[in-house]
Amino acid sequence: MQEPIAPTARRGLSLDIYAVALSLALALLVRFNLIPPVTW
Amino acid sequence: MATTVANPPTQGEGIGMRIVSLLPGLLLLAAVGYAGKFIEQSIAHYTKANHIVFPNIEYVLWAIVIGLVIANTVGVPRVFEAGVATYEFWLKAGIVLLGSRFLLGDILHLGGISLLLVAFAIALSFAFMHLIGRAFGLRPKLTSLLAIGSSICGVSAIIAAKPAIGADDEDASYAIAAILALGAISLFAFPLLGHSLHLSDKAYGLWAGLAVDNTAEATAAGALYSDAAGKVAVLAKTTRNALIGFVVLAYALYWASRGEAKAVGNKAAFLWRKFPKFVLGFLLISLLATLGFFTKPQLASLANLSRWAFLLTFAGVGLRTSLRELGKQGWKPFAVGAIGEVFIALVTLGLVYGANRWLHL
Repeated sequence: MQEPIAPTARRGLSLDIYAVALSLALALLVRFNLIPPVTW
Repeated sequence: MATTVANPPTQGEGIGMRIVSLLPGLLLLAAVGYAGKFIEQSIAHYTKANHIVFPNIEYVLWAIVIGLVIANTVGVPRVFEAGVATYEFWLKAGIVLLGSRFLLGDILHLGGISLLLVAFAIALSFAFMHLIGRAFGLRPKLTSLLAIGSSICGVSAIIAAKPAIGADDEDASYAIAAILALGAISLFAFPLLGHSLHLSDKAYGLWAGLAVDNTAEATAAGALYSDAAGKVAVLAKTTRNALIGFVVLAYALYWASRGEAKAVGNKAAFLWRKFPKFVLGFLLISLLATLGFFTKPQLASLANLSRWAFLLTFAGVGLRTSLRELGKQGWKPFAVGAIGEVFIALVTLGLVYGANRWLHL
């Protein structure tokens, strides 16, 4: 029987996926020069 | 990692409302982090202009200290809480973006060494934690949670293991409080120890990544030493995080075999569920960087974006650390955790010295 996924695990998973999605989106914006160079 | 995770939007809650509720806390994170950066730069300008010799105190420390002072004096009002809790999200985004600063070959080399050392450290620390847990008369499942928390990924590992081994809420909250308290101490103790032992950036980064529990604290402890050490600490900690599923599965099988936890059905699915997916993002960005997808100035921009994300994380580490709450835990879990942490720190330091000598870091 499939073990139910705990709500915390689901939240953790979504958090990871949102973080990866945002990072990839930023990487593409940088790659295609759609945002100005980011300075520190 | 952390006690609280930012909740994704639910069906009943509009995404717009959710973003609005995050704004005050996000602005507070940005203000505290930027204040830390401003103080570092102001001191550097002043001491340079006046020819004063003064050690550079990194923005990381200022951001954490400002956050700690706010959280433990006036406190963080409820309206800021949701936004402040996103610091773990910024940590993960920062780690994924940091992948651009690694060639895949470096990850395989240093990650492979980390994996080997982590396996040694885990085996030794589990045996040791169970020994002292028994000596202090702790409940076996509380000892299991402390062992998982101190050898893998701090609070995230405890949260992942709790349902799998059938531990109760009280055990989980004791273990989380102990791991958070020890993480806060490690944050300041590790850089001091590293400097007094004259460790190289690579050796120190590897040590911090292998021994400091929570990812946010390990990242901060590395960055407090140097930029290069921070990079290595993140890589070593990410390797450690990737093992979370295997360790939780081993514990779940152990407690299930004693009839004190639910049986694990599909083991591959279990491992996949527990695997931290941001590690895949980190590897993907590193692969793209290795294949020459980004130009040099673009790689610099990505590295700076990663720094900005970590700036928010470090502010959050301070703002989420309540010394009062940490003091409320029982002394026994803290004592077992502290003795275990010192043991792990010594074992990993020995392993890092050995790796430096024989595996050429």
